[in-house]
Amino acid sequence: MNSRLAHLLVFLYPRPWRERYGAEFEALLHNGGGGLRTWANVVWSAFHEHVFPTPGLNTEHSQFQSWCVRAPWAMFGLAPLLLLAAAYFVACFILWSGWKIFLPGTNTPFVPIDGLANFYFQVGRLIYFSAPIVIGWAIGLVAARQRLKVVWPGAGWLLIALIGGTAQVRASRTTVLSGVGHVRMAFALGPSVHGIPDGLFHGLVILSLAVLPYVIWRLQKALALSD
Amino acid sequence: MIEDIVRLSGTRLGPGTLYGAIARLEQQGWIEPLPAEERRRPYRITGEGLRILRAKLTTLQQFSRVGLKRLETL
Repeated sequence: MNSRLAHLLVFLYPRPWRERYGAEFEALLHNGGGGLRTWANVVWSAFHEHVFPTPGLNTEHSQFQSWCVRAPWAMFGLAPLLLLAAAYFVACFILWSGWKIFLPGTNTPFVPIDGLANFYFQVGRLIYFSAPIVIGWAIGLVAARQRLKVVWPGAGWLLIALIGGTAQVRASRTTVLSGVGHVRMAFALGPSVHGIPDGLFHGLVILSLAVLPYVIWRLQKALALSD
Repeated sequence: MIEDIVRLSGTRLGPGTLYGAIARLEQQGWIEPLPAEERRRPYRITGEGLRILRAKLTTLQQFSRVGLKRLETL
């Protein structure tokens, strides 16, 4: 493998790992063959090392760990909030631009549509619906990796679920002929079904899905300890 | 080492997988590094590593013996 590429791939690993194994691993990559399988294997292994560091090796506190301890409100409150806002912005932008490109004459973008336009809108929908769940998984990943108590991650999950459950996208066009289309977001609990507000029900669904991988991880850990 | 594993098990480990295993084995104290030869780093098994390996292989041997015996009766 090209020595520059080998050097670059080694840099994907966490610093403590690189300091111990970097030189010899780089030599192995340099002497061995390249190829997509090798790259994929190294990228995946580096990611795995970040998420589940080799026990005993990463003893020093990283900047990331220190942030989790010093400012958990930022890690589990502000950061997920900003990520969710960014995802919603992208989803709304896709809706607005799709409306402008594919449905210039209609009063609303929420109409049945086929082909490429449908695919374009579905990408926005996917981002909109999956964002709170994926961010919830990320919270769980950080909590699992840092071996944190569940209080702050729990607050993060609740916040994301509440926002995700109550978020609504609204599109309207100004009354002037061929007026400008507006896409905006609102947050409301919505009408009740069987006494439970719609937004709360959606929030509970998001919360369950977001927490699921973390719960499975905790159960696996508990089972491994009881064996 | 990768070629040796191919000969032994028929499976080719990726370099990331191999070094993931080496790091864990070393941190467990089951292998230890020898002085570097240029940029290559040889490793050798420790006494504790030998003990663990012997125990694992014995378990595997018993497992395969019983499994093969049961297969004969089918």
